[in-house]
Amino acid sequence: MEAKKWHREYLERYQRLKEAGLPFFPNTVFKDTLVAFVIFALLAYLAWTKGAVLEEPADPTDNTYNPRPEWYFLFLFQALKLFPGHLEAVAAVVLPGMIVLGFILVPFLDRGPRRHPLTRPLGLGLGVVGLGVYCFLTWKGYSSPLTNPIVEKDPVILAGRRLYRDLKCSYCHKVSGKGGTAGPELDKVAGEETEAWLISHFKNPQQMSPGSTMPVLNLLDDEITSLVAYMKSFGVGSYTPEAPKLFAENCSACHMINKQGGDSGPDLSLIGSARDKNFLKKYVEDPSQMNPSSAMPGFQGQLTDTQIDDIARYLATLGQ
Amino acid sequence: MRAWTWINERTGAGKIWEALFARKIPEAKGWVAWLYTLGSASLFVFTIQAVTGALLAMNYVPSPDHAHDSIRFIESQVFLGSFIRGLHHWGATFMVVLVALHMLRVYFMAAYKYPREATWLVGVVLFLLVMGFSFTGYLLPWDQKAYWATMVGANIAGQAPALGSYLAKILKGGEDLGAATLARFYSLHVLVLPMTIAVAILAHLFLVVWHGISEPPLKESNKGD
Ligand code: HEM
Repeated sequence: MEAKKWHREYLERYQRLKEAGLPFFPNTVFKDTLVAFVIFALLAYLAWTKGAVLEEPADPTDNTYNPRPEWYFLFLFQALKLFPGHLEAVAAVVLPGMIVLGFILVPFLDRGPRRHPLTRPLGLGLGVVGLGVYCFLTWKGYSSPLTNPIVEKDPVILAGRRLYRDLKCSYCHKVSGKGGTAGPELDKVAGEETEAWLISHFKNPQQMSPGSTMPVLNLLDDEITSLVAYMKSFGVGSYTPEAPKLFAENCSACHMINKQGGDSGPDLSLIGSARDKNFLKKYVEDPSQMNPSSAMPGFQGQLTDTQIDDIARYLATLGQ
Repeated sequence: MRAWTWINERTGAGKIWEALFARKIPEAKGWVAWLYTLGSASLFVFTIQAVTGALLAMNYVPSPDHAHDSIRFIESQVFLGSFIRGLHHWGATFMVVLVALHMLRVYFMAAYKYPREATWLVGVVLFLLVMGFSFTGYLLPWDQKAYWATMVGANIAGQAPALGSYLAKILKGGEDLGAATLARFYSLHVLVLPMTIAVAILAHLFLVVWHGISEPPLKESNKGD
């Protein structure tokens, strides 16, 4: 067989080269030892001057923390940003898998006798391009804001989160149960406000909620955008199992949800995509205040405030 | 030399010396010769990791309640503790870099070709094991970075098609990242991975010695002359 022929010839030639070579000790050992000393000196210098960081103890409730991957993994995080939505999750597994598979296949794909890189343009090209892409992605990952593709995606939200920390909002507000008590717990309430409301409120808190002790922060428009995005990321709190029952008892005589219910009022199956929770709550309390021509009765007094709140949360999720 | 004869007759030390240290190596000239030191440099840093790791394990406690405190203790109270932790920390980065560079030299010199394919494959296993060390070690200080970076890692594993959610559960030792995860990662980091990599390194070195180090590739005389 042809392949076997160059194998045999290689072994013979290698034998000749080896016999003409130099003994491992002291030649190679000397070089290896020298390199080991240099490496140890560098290592000791870094260990002595920089040491290793120890951050605050792990806090499983603080999901605002954006972890930094080791720099040699940055390329992967950067690469994942290229895949939209659902594909990203697939890429998170497929990409590393393909790299490892590629490594495994190397000796089986490149089998001829040629070894010098210049006589193997494909191998050389793949290597150089691969290395280039790796360096480029690492550099991009380093210079763009750190976002974590799986836990959190939107850089605007992250910027808001960072501002939240820098402005020391947690002095008065709680998020994930951590922070002060002077202001409301933001992850419970802020996500339910409209963007317009939040923007005006950041510009002038007293105008939107009279008597508030929150200071005027004099924020730039960009900063407000980030903070609003962060607030909206809390989303609307979830409704209780009571809510659909309350709806069935009080509303479905006139309103339909998913083809269930009466048709004298509008179908509400998709209402959450058009109205936010606070609007819906006010509407259920007293429709005439939002829409003077409405024929719907108000439920303020009929139902408790908590019950109306629950229904509004439920409706706000419909069609989202 | 009576002592030497005694030892040699009983251990075969002379044969071992001949096979390992007196063996001849095809000559590599100039700067190319230095590229051949990357493998032994990886080995050197690995021994540093083994020694500093053993020292750290003497004071480290793998439980969520004590891990962070025990690292603080190492940093502030243990003699040379922060230096040793620094060595282990930077050693981990060096290990990854050196192994990658070693791999690149083997790749660009096509030293994985006949008859050294198996050496390369064991090398790929070594590479994955080094990554495993990096991933499991990252959690042990139990600080914010450790916890949330591992969470991301587990989430990524959870994305794997079909078996993903099981994989994530096995990694975490349950639904949550907690005491079970830390104990698991610690066991992997100080018992399972070290034993596995020791075997793999021995196999790698055996193959390297057995085949002999590849000669530096030449542009012409390599087409099977
Ligand atoms: C823990 C990690 C590793 C250690 C300690 C290690 C150690 C070594 C040593 C000491 C050599 C002798 C020649 C040299 O230093 O260049 C060698 C050769 C070799 N290594 Fe590694 N290695 C490691 C990882 C890898 C990886 C990741 C690969 C590739 C995927 C690899 C593939 C090879 C090959 C093919 C040779 C033979 C090269 C030749 O004969 O020229 N090794 N290794």
